[in-house]
Amino acid sequence: MGLVLKGVSKNFGSKKAVDNISITMDKPGVYGLLGTNGAGKTTTIRMILGIVEKDTGEITWNGKKVERKSVNFGYLPEERGVYPKTKVYDQLIYFARLKGMSRQDADEKIKELSKELKVEEYLNMPAEKLSKGNQQKVQFMTSIIHNPDLVILDEPFSGLDPVNTEILKNIIIDLVKQGKYIIMSAHQMATIEEFCSDIVILNRGKTVLQGNLKDIKNSYKANRLLVSTNTKIDDMISDLNLTIENNVDNKYTIKIDNEDIARKLLNTLVEKQIEITKFEIQKPTLNDIFIEKVGE
Amino acid sequence: MNDLKVVIGFTIKDMVQRKSFIISTVIILLFIILGFNIPNIMNAISGEENSNSKEKILVVDTNNIYEGTLDELNSLDLGYEFEVVTDNIEFNEIKQKIENGEIESSIIIEKNDSNLKIRYIVESMTSYTQIPEDLSNALNSAYSSLQISKLGLTQEQLNSLNPNIEFTMEQTEEEEVKGNVIIIMLLSLVLFYAIYFCAYQVSSSITTEKTSRIIETLVTSTSPTNIVVGKTIGIGLVGLAQLCIIVLTALICAKSFIEPEILNSVLDMSMITPSLGIITIAYFILGYFTYAMLYALTGSTVSKPEDIQSANTPVAFVAIIGFYLSYFTMMNPTSNLNVFASIFPISSPFCMPFRVMMGIAEPSEIIISFIVLILTIIVITKLTIKIYSNAILNYGGKIKIREFLHK
Repeated sequence: MGLVLKGVSKNFGSKKAVDNISITMDKPGVYGLLGTNGAGKTTTIRMILGIVEKDTGEITWNGKKVERKSVNFGYLPEERGVYPKTKVYDQLIYFARLKGMSRQDADEKIKELSKELKVEEYLNMPAEKLSKGNQQKVQFMTSIIHNPDLVILDEPFSGLDPVNTEILKNIIIDLVKQGKYIIMSAHQMATIEEFCSDIVILNRGKTVLQGNLKDIKNSYKANRLLVSTNTKIDDMISDLNLTIENNVDNKYTIKIDNEDIARKLLNTLVEKQIEITKFEIQKPTLNDIFIEKVGE
Repeated sequence: MNDLKVVIGFTIKDMVQRKSFIISTVIILLFIILGFNIPNIMNAISGEENSNSKEKILVVDTNNIYEGTLDELNSLDLGYEFEVVTDNIEFNEIKQKIENGEIESSIIIEKNDSNLKIRYIVESMTSYTQIPEDLSNALNSAYSSLQISKLGLTQEQLNSLNPNIEFTMEQTEEEEVKGNVIIIMLLSLVLFYAIYFCAYQVSSSITTEKTSRIIETLVTSTSPTNIVVGKTIGIGLVGLAQLCIIVLTALICAKSFIEPEILNSVLDMSMITPSLGIITIAYFILGYFTYAMLYALTGSTVSKPEDIQSANTPVAFVAIIGFYLSYFTMMNPTSNLNVFASIFPISSPFCMPFRVMMGIAEPSEIIISFIVLILTIIVITKLTIKIYSNAILNYGGKIKIREFLHK
């Protein structure tokens, strides 16, 4: 069950915005939607939400066609938007009521969420008086106030300071614990790695990589070695025909093809009794994989 | 249905809480109250304690040329109070009385050989100051009557000299136009502005939602139909309430501050009936809906706030054509063109209520006009919602309406 996209495509005139993508999200958690600008992430999200008609394919939630009425979803768009002249509380009530909540339930939930997100003091202010970060938190509240089953967050952390990022992260972790299905698009790969069990990478509307994040990373060989020593080891590295990517105060980042060559270097260092403070074989980061897949 | 109510409620609350709305309404009401009080204010400034008191004119007939017949001037209801004296009063004495405010002006009657000479003395003279025509006629007539009476004519001969001529006016057309056309045209102008500016608010509100990017959250919360129709109804209700307050204030002010004779000479209050009120409100609602939907259509195609003026220009043109078609044909209300204007949907809201007011609208014309207007609204609403749904999330370059239809 859950969310299923099968062979979904969308053209805008002669431009293929989304080309035959398929996604299956069959258990609660966070699904990462990655891609460069214009890769088709927002169009995919809009098709899932039914605000843009797909040309071909099928989108279902628990086996049923996705419609506003049939799916209880929440959406935080990439473009931040609030009613500038309207009081924060009034707009939160408005959206909660449109999502079918009673005024009383909405009021209670606003109080609870505004406390968690630390925006209580702004509730009676027009939204235009709030900082961008606080406006974003208000908009985040509108996307989850009605306790949705499916939450779609398009770039939820962009523009937030570290303190607010942490607050938002904790709420997302809570949502996962509550068994929510979350689709998150983000440019910060570290965030995706932190939250997402599965990902899809889009490039020019096409799927270039898809699957379980751990499996994807395991399928890649180690490609980087981090070594910190108390003395220079440049000669030993070049003896093994390895390339130094970076070296700051004997903290080396070395490009490797396999783990055996890393072990050889370790043996050499031990034999020569060089003091090692760090020795770490690294697999490619999501950032590396992303650049490899979508980099021109 | 619940979503529609929520959108309507939010729109109303959002509009009436705006400072600009409150301030503009208060300013309009103050202008109305002030406008109707201009005569009173002018009287207060000129220091008149009682606006009903008549101007006093001192008539000096030193040589008793009129032989006492001038006392009858007061019975002619010329709007003046005459004090007739036969004493010899010097110019300086008259000047003193005018300066003291005892009299407004004075008439000195003198005889020069066989000619009658009348001097009209006022405090100050401008190029516009003239001897009041009815006053000079009355003096002429009184002198003629005096001289004729000396001829010893019989009553019949006297009657034939002063025939009682009765003037009446009739028309060849069967329909009779009631009321002052100029005033009705002015009211048509008021209705046009009310409809136009309320409808314009819809465009402005939709563009604000689009350019502030709130629209993405909104279209995932409810349907485009609920947004467009709810917003239109909400703004329309506020506009209607505002219009009713303005009209009621104007009517109360007219009744309270304007002399009934003056008011009736301008506007026959008996023409303002409950059925006229209902028809006017119905045309306001339908006219507003027509233009609001057109504005919703153009408002949804705008990506940047600065483009709103140019996007709305075509609708403004349509509205102005509709208004002038109604306005100019009203000068000849029984013409076929005015009948057409009262049925054609872009002009009927500004035209039909006043044909009804003038008592020349046939019931069949009213029914046809309503049907045409309602059908037009249905077509425009469907078209607008289709284009709105496709255009509202487009932030790219300018796209033609046709492309939005086929998206």
